[in-house]
Parts: sequence; structure tokens; C-alpha cells
Amino acid sequence: MKVSLNWLNEYVDVPADLKAFCDRLDLTGTGVEGVEKTGAAFDKIVTAQVVEKQLHPDSDHLWVCKVDVGEWNTDDNGNPEPLQIVCGAQNFEQGDHIVTALVGATLPGDFTIKKSKLRGVTSMGMNCSERELGLSDSHEGIIVLPEDAPIGVPFADYLKMSDTVLDLEITPNRPDCLSMVGMAREVGAMYRADVALPLYELEEDASQPNAADLCTVEVQNPEHCARYTARVIKNVKIGPSPKWLAERVTAAGARSINNVVDVTNYILFLYGQPLHAFDFDKLVSADGKAHIIVRAAEDGEKFTTLDGEDRTLTSDMTVIATPERAVALAGVMGGLETEIEEDSTTVLLEAATFEHGRTSRTSRNLGLISESSMRYERGVDDNPIADYSAAAAALLAEVAGGVVCPGIVDVYGKRTEPRQLQFRIPRFTQMMGVEVPRADIIDILERLDCDVEDDGSDTLKVTAPTCRPDLEREIDLYEEVLRLWGMDLVPPTLPASPDRVGALTEDQLKLRVINRAMTAAGLNETTTYSFADPDELQKLRMPSEGLGDPVELINPMNAEQSIMRQSIIPGLLRSVAYNQAHGVKNVQLYETGVVYAAHEGQKKPKEKQKLAGMLAGCMRDATWNAPSVPFDFFDGKGAIESLARELAIAKLRFKALDADEAPFLQPGRAAQVLAGGSVLGWVGEIHPLAVAAYEAEAPVVAFELDLDALYKAARPARDYVDVPEFPPVSIDVAFVVNEDVTNERMVQYITSAGGKLLTDVRLFDVYRDDARVGVGKKSMAYALTFRAPDRTLIGEEVEKAVQKLKKKIAGAIGAEVRA
Amino acid sequence: MAIIDELAALQEQTLAAIEAASDTSALDAVRVGVVGKSGTLTGYLRNMGQVQKEQRAAVGKAVNEARKVVEEALEARKAMLAAAELEASINASAVDVTLPGRAQQLGTRHLINRTCEEICDVFLGLGYTVATGPEVETDYYNFTALNAPADHPSRSMQDTFYVVDRSGDEAAVRGESDVLLRTQTSGVQVHCMEDQELPIYIVAPGKVFRRDVADPSHLPQFTQIEGLVVDKGITFGDLKGTLDYFCKAVFGPDRKTRFRAHYFPFTEPSAEVDVSCGVCHGEGCRMCKGTGWLEILGCGMVDPNVLEMSGIDPEVYSGFAFGVGVERVACLKYNVPDLRLLLQGDMRFLRQF
Repeated sequence: MKVSLNWLNEYVDVPADLKAFCDRLDLTGTGVEGVEKTGAAFDKIVTAQVVEKQLHPDSDHLWVCKVDVGEWNTDDNGNPEPLQIVCGAQNFEQGDHIVTALVGATLPGDFTIKKSKLRGVTSMGMNCSERELGLSDSHEGIIVLPEDAPIGVPFADYLKMSDTVLDLEITPNRPDCLSMVGMAREVGAMYRADVALPLYELEEDASQPNAADLCTVEVQNPEHCARYTARVIKNVKIGPSPKWLAERVTAAGARSINNVVDVTNYILFLYGQPLHAFDFDKLVSADGKAHIIVRAAEDGEKFTTLDGEDRTLTSDMTVIATPERAVALAGVMGGLETEIEEDSTTVLLEAATFEHGRTSRTSRNLGLISESSMRYERGVDDNPIADYSAAAAALLAEVAGGVVCPGIVDVYGKRTEPRQLQFRIPRFTQMMGVEVPRADIIDILERLDCDVEDDGSDTLKVTAPTCRPDLEREIDLYEEVLRLWGMDLVPPTLPASPDRVGALTEDQLKLRVINRAMTAAGLNETTTYSFADPDELQKLRMPSEGLGDPVELINPMNAEQSIMRQSIIPGLLRSVAYNQAHGVKNVQLYETGVVYAAHEGQKKPKEKQKLAGMLAGCMRDATWNAPSVPFDFFDGKGAIESLARELAIAKLRFKALDADEAPFLQPGRAAQVLAGGSVLGWVGEIHPLAVAAYEAEAPVVAFELDLDALYKAARPARDYVDVPEFPPVSIDVAFVVNEDVTNERMVQYITSAGGKLLTDVRLFDVYRDDARVGVGKKSMAYALTFRAPDRTLIGEEVEKAVQKLKKKIAGAIGAEVRA
Repeated sequence: MAIIDELAALQEQTLAAIEAASDTSALDAVRVGVVGKSGTLTGYLRNMGQVQKEQRAAVGKAVNEARKVVEEALEARKAMLAAAELEASINASAVDVTLPGRAQQLGTRHLINRTCEEICDVFLGLGYTVATGPEVETDYYNFTALNAPADHPSRSMQDTFYVVDRSGDEAAVRGESDVLLRTQTSGVQVHCMEDQELPIYIVAPGKVFRRDVADPSHLPQFTQIEGLVVDKGITFGDLKGTLDYFCKAVFGPDRKTRFRAHYFPFTEPSAEVDVSCGVCHGEGCRMCKGTGWLEILGCGMVDPNVLEMSGIDPEVYSGFAFGVGVERVACLKYNVPDLRLLLQGDMRFLRQF
């Protein structure tokens, strides 16, 4: 909403301090989005007075003047001091009021005033003619202003050309503020200043036929159009608007078109009441009358709006029609066929109100937002419509020479009644946490046009004006008083309640542990889109079993983001590819987030929390003292092992996944992650074909775990175990076994064969050599730690245990003990 | 007496040898040769039997004295050599301390989640709990229960992502579906008001979705933290005090806040909160577009309709709610120029935080 301060100032005193005014608007809820000053072309051109005039010592036609420019020139003490200006004009006398361009002013034609010398005499400016200022072609001499002209005022201000136009953000609950009158009332309430609203006196011409004899109005559904009025104005002469009218509508952001259209726009900006001027003659039916019908459009009905666009309508839209055809799109835009043109003589003036929801949908569905639709979709008050119509008619008579036919056709199907509300002062005080004086409460409400009945009790009876549809409840009045009295005056406090404890839930604490463990393992947290491509899983070779159906968006931004993700892996893989494409080869990423699964018959999808990680390249490049080791399966697995330790997960297990179970992983480098019997997720190297499909470089190690399963498997803490008092005995043993014997199996056997003195089994080497170990075999070397809790072990004891262990393993797995 | 003279000579010789020993191993050789098991001096003691009886006492004394002198000299020389050797080895093992250390590479948290946690921690300290809720919501929890009018533009297909409804229900508000990607985490508040005991002090962080094309200042998916308090006697002053504390905790104790009246369907009175610009401290600069203030969040007293819809008596209870854009907070703190960086997973960005 563009508000000209000159215009606003006609109804309420606008404070001189523009910045303070804008701040106050901001704080009370009217956002100032822009400030535009007009009249800047007359910068440094001021009104002045000639206080001394003497002939130039070296010229017979130049004058040396002392010119009082008020505060624009001061002496060393800051007192105003007249300027010395040499002037060649002959049409002025000492004492005359004139217009002076100061040093630094730029005149039309890009002529900048400088300090100069004319025939040896210094001149500090220029006294201006109309032509020099670009006001007219008159150059008969300098401008001489009336005697009462002020001195030292910017010339633009003096001419009232100087204006400031604010671009205001009006919140959707305030249709009233989309008008000058509404803004004047708002500013009046902000500053507790009186507001003088414009008055229009309409003279109808009794010699003309009654409006009711010229037109009829039928509203088919009052729910869609609460009130429709029509007036007829004859003998209008279409022409340019007078200057004041053109200026007003231009300042408000419209284009001056002609006197009739400008009047309708003026009334719209002034009162917030959209009007439409039809060319009456283009409406009339065969009987010579205009028959207005407000009806729902037909589905598929075609209509050409004023802007020349052909529109296809739906039955959710309302049209203004004659029996023959639609002539306007209700609340949004008039029709091309019935618009006012240069030869129009009779105007049918529509002032109406239309249902806001339908107007809003119509304007949105057609992509057509107009000054009218903006106001109707927020709500236009039906009560003052006849008055505004009269004001418009009076103006049409004034500026277009029209004669107003007596009467108004007024179909008023649904009247909005003013609301009666209460205002409990103690409740207000209690809720706001501040005491606002009773007199202030009443004054603020009254300045908002509320009717306040005060019987001295705690409760005020308030009648809200119908122009404020947002004042529906008591709380709405509280808001008005608070914001206008000053939110900034409310002292800040903290809630006093003793009944609250701030704490994270167990799962939230576990999530924090997970984040710590992941970052400690060198992984960097990222976030990828929750949107996904429908082909994504297929591209990854990931089977969709168990992932539910994809959650489909009805209105996606694009096809690549038309479903919700079923796995975090594709997003991470895309990030890996992005990094690699940008020369970043070492990538360590993890993400926690939701994946979505839809199921037939269920309204809302299942949302599962997942933790996914992805490693490519190395942890870092080689340095002088540390080699660079490329990531493989075991880096992913190691991160999960660290995580499991931090979460105190018991019985973490990894079970090989074959190609059928996990086709998206490289066979032989893929494992299911389990805690005891429950599946946590998987870890592995992404299948090279899947990596290639995402244009990334293999190997890429990844894992995806179910967060809820992790939470469930996690224990609050590990159990305490006595710190050993007696020294351990360590013995290394290497077994030669077939390739297919897993470490897990070996450890199980060693642990069960080792007896209770065996406290730790650590694999420290795996060695393959066809000649020395044998084809299809491997040597697995374990460091075994024996310890007794109650004594120092003696060598023989350990020797015996190891011999027993070796024998058992050999028997069970056919392992050979390497020397 | 020949033996006494021999001893004196041996002592003399030995002392010279000790002095000449250049390192601890040479010194040790001297020690072994003189006072070791088969050392020369030890030999005298061993051969004492062969010394004439009347001379034994004198020779024994002389041997012991010589041994004492030698051992003392050995000890002194050893200490000196050890010190010298340690010094030499220390000198030899000096390193260029500007060479890089041997550090574990730790990972980093995502800027948004880090900021989110920071904000949640502020409210944990104020006695709030952290609530979460589903990202796919029904129209009711995202809009209706929050007092959004049926025709509110934010509910349109242009602004909100709608999801195919698999239940077979007919959509109540929009033509096709009542299921949507939440546009705000306020739905969590409604669930809390319906399900939780009063009083309620919660913050609800989470992902939200709006149909904006990704550009430097918009993302179709971003992060919000909403707060809700419902209790007896909650005032607008409490809202101001809480958010003032929050802004100072997150942005710094010297920052100021201001409350501008505003409009939101689910709160009344409503306000937007600005924090004073950290670059110009309120003078006005490019960062704050000359205003001296940065818009940071929206808030207000919970609308009585919203309380009532959740079965809470607005005559007994009051409350406040607020919503913070985490991306906004993070970008203001770190001057991130392009929001899209947050979803790219670029290591060069992620590892900065």
C-alpha cells in the first residue's frame, strides 16, 4: 500500500520526523518497506528574499544583491546570513520574495550552480526564472513570489511538489488499512491525534430519470455478494483528470487514465472501496435498460478482461453480467467490452462487496491480482458502500461534468452488524503483564472508531466498527491496545512457574552420543534433500522390499524431487559425486534423518529415523609422518564399532550379506549389522555399478542404520568390571585355516576353548601365502591374554591352557597351529 | 713394600684411565678391569692369602682405600658422562616444532544442526523440553488447529507440498489431499497441547517444507524451531523476557531486541522480533539494510481459539509461542551467502564449522 504523506496529512497531522514516524509504524504493526521522496529535482533550491540590491560597480545592468535564504547560509556563529548574489534580471526590487538556487544545486539541463565571480564580484548562487527551473518557457525575469511567501523553505515544499510516499506492508487482517482513511485512523490512534475525514456532498439532478428506472440489479446468491449498488451518472465528458486528482492516484501507485477511471481509483485508495465504472450504453438491453445480474460463472465460460486477456472461468468465480453476457469478473477486473472510452457519456457506477474467499481463489487461479481483488480478498465493509458511491458520484460530477441521476439501486442481501465485545481490564492487565491506564485503553479504542461504554466497572462494553473485521473477540481488542500503547513499554519477565524441568529424553541423549561418536570417527555431518527421484532406488540397485511405497507429492517442484526419500544413501552418494567432481577426493559424510514409507490404506506415511554414513577416498592425504590409507569396508565397520561402544550396545555382530540380499553392495564386502538378534542395518562398499550410476568414483563405503533400533539396543552405560590387580600373561598363536573360516567363528571357538583364564582375544595378523601357508588357506594370528582375578598366573598354568586350546581348535575347525 | 707401591701405581693408573674414558661403555670396561670380579684390584683381595701375615692388615687397608678412591672416581666420571650423553642425545633428537602434529581428524557437525542444538540448549536451561513430530502432517495439524482460515494463501498448492492420501478419505479443504509436508513445526505444539499434561514448556525443532525454488535466500526444505508455553498466568512480558534472553544467549549479551506488532493466525497479540545488528550495533549498515535491526523470529500469545481447539480453557491458561528460522540465525551468525550450500554436502563448506 503506497501512502502519500501529503495526502495523509490532509486528514491527520503526520509527524515531521520521518524516521521516527516510520519506526513507530513498524513497531505498531505497519511495516515500512520503502520510502520514496518526490520533488528531489529541486534539491538546494529555496525560497528567499532580496534584502539589499545595488548596481554592480562595473556594469550598468547587473545587480549585486544580498539574499536572505534563512538557515541555508549561516555565519560563524550559526546565525542566518544573507548570500551575495550577482543578478542580471530587471524585474525585481529590494524586499521581493524570490527563488534562489544555492551553490551545489543542479538545474534542468544538468547545469550545476558554482561559486563564481562576475566582473570581479563574488556570486554565491543564482536567482531563478521559471524557465531556468524548467517550470515554463517564461524568461521575462526571475520568479517573484507573493509577499507572504516564507523564506528559506525548499522550493519543492513551497510548491507542494515535495512529497514522501511510503510503501507499507499491510498485514492480511487489516483490510481497513488499505485506504487513506484507514491509515489516517491508524495514525490518529498511534499518536492519539484527531482525524478529519473528507466530506462529499452529492447533488442529484432531479430532472434526470431515477437510477432505478435506468437499471435493475439481481444478485443470485447473497453469500457471494452481500451488497451491490448501482448509480447512473449522465453527460460525463471523458478527459484528462485535473492535476490534483492525477497526482493523488499517481502517488498511490496507479496510472492516471482519464477523469472517470481516476475517480474510481481515487475512491478506492481513499476509502478502500473498489468501484467499477461501466459504459452504461454498452450494458443496455433491448428495453433500453441495463439489467445487472450477479451470478456464478459457468464452467468454461469465456471472458475478456480489461487488460485484453481472454480468460476461461469456472463455476467457483462470480461474474457481473447482463442477460446477454458477462461484463465483469466480480471483485477482480472489469471487461474489455464495457469499459469507459473517450466517447462514453453515461456511467453506471458499481459499488459492491464480494465474498473474500471466492475473490481470492479467482484472482489466484487466473493469476490476476488487482487493487480491487487485493481488497476484496481481505474483506470490504458493506455498511458504508452507499456513502462511498455517493462520494464517487459527487466527484464525477465535479471533475467530469456529469449529472447524477437521482437514487441508487441497492441490493443489500447480507448486512454485517457491528460486534459487541467486552474488555475486562483486570484480565487484560493479567495477560499482558503491564498496567495500562484505563483512560488510555478507552482513548485508544475510541480512536479506532470503537464505541466504548464505561460504567466504571472492570469491564468495558465495546462496539467494534464494521470496517474492522479482525476485531471479533476480546483478545483482538487487547492486541489493539497493547500495540498502540506500546509493546516496548511492557517490562520483560520470565515465567514464574515452578513446575518445569528442562531435560532431554533418553533417545535425544542417545542421538547426541551418536553425533559425538560419528564426529569422533572423523565423519562430517551433512543434510541432503528429503525429496527424491522416483528412479533413485533402481539406480542404486537397492531393492524396495521393506521400504514401503514411495510417498508421492501431488505438486512437486520438479520430477527429480517428486517423491520423498526411502533411503538417505542416494543423497549422500550425490554429495560424494559432487565433492569428487569438485576435486575433493576425501569425503567422510554422515546424516541422520527421516525416510518415508507409504502404505495402502494409511493416510500418513511411516517415518523412520535413519543414520547413514559414507566414506570415499581417505581420511586425509598423506603427511610427512602419516601415510594415507584408502577407505575400505573396515573403515565403515570401525565407525559402527566405535558407535556401538559409545552406545554400550551388547552383542554387536556383522553377518555377510550375499549378492541377492544386497545387490547394491559389492558382494564379499557387505554385512548386515546386528545387535544380538535384532537387525540394526547394513554396512558395505557400494556396488561399483551403483557408484557409477551416480557418477561417483568407487570405492565408496557406506552404512545405513535404523536409529530406533540403535536406541533400543543401546544401554545407558556399560557394566563395571573390576580393574585387574594381577599381571596378565600374553601369548601369540597363529592358526592356519581354510579361507571360509571367519574371524567370528575363530573367536567363538577360541573363547570357548580358552577357559575362564582367557580374558582377551585380539586378531593381529592375517597372512596368505600359497607356498608357505597353502592354497586356499590363511594364517590368522591371535594375541591371547590370560589373567586370573585372584593371583599371579604361573607359566605352566598358561602353557597348559594354551595347549588345550590349540588341540580343541584343531579338532573343531581342522586348524593347524603355525610354529 | 712392593705391594703397597704396586697398589699406589695401580690406583694412579686407574684414575688416569677413568679420566680418559670417553663414554659410559669405556668407563664400564675400566670398572670391570679394575674392580670387576676378575679385576686387577679385586685380584689383590683375592690373593690376600699369599701376603705375609704381618703385612696383611696394611695391604688390606691399602687395597680397600684404593678401591674406595677408584669407585668414587668411577661414580663421579659415570655421572658426568651420563649427563653429557643425555645432553648429546637430547640435542640429537630436536625436531622442527613447526612440522604438523599427529592429530586424529575429527568430523564436524552440520551448521544447522549445531545451531539447532545450541538453541535447544538455551531453552533446556530455561526449563523446556524438546518435542518432535512427524514431517508429513495432516491439514488439520498444520493449519486448521492453528487457526489458519480455509482460504489462507499459505494453504494453496503454490505454497504447500501436498502428498497423495492413501487412505481413500475425501479431502476436506483442498480438492486432492489433506496430507501435506508440514510448513511449520507448529503441528508439534498442537499434538503436545492435546496429549501432554499442563503446564507445557517445549521447543520443537525440525525440518519444514515450502514450495520455494532453491536460490541463495530460499530453500524448499529448511529448519524451524518453535516454542510453546502454556501455563497459568503467562504474560506478554514473559514472552518478551524469554525471547530477549534467547537473543542475548545466541547472539551475544550486548545485543538488543525489539518487538514489532504483527499478525499471525495462531497468536494474538502477535509480534516480530528484531535483534540489533551485530555489524553496526544499531547505526544502520548494509547487513541490516540501514535499519539497525535484523528480523529474527515471529511470536505472540497463543490465540484463545488455538487453546480451545486443543481442549485447554483460555480463561484459565494462557501461553506464548514463537518460531525461529534456524537457517536465518545461522546465516546471520556466520554470514553464509547462499543457503544452497547447506544441502550440497560440500566438504569444503561442512568442515568450516
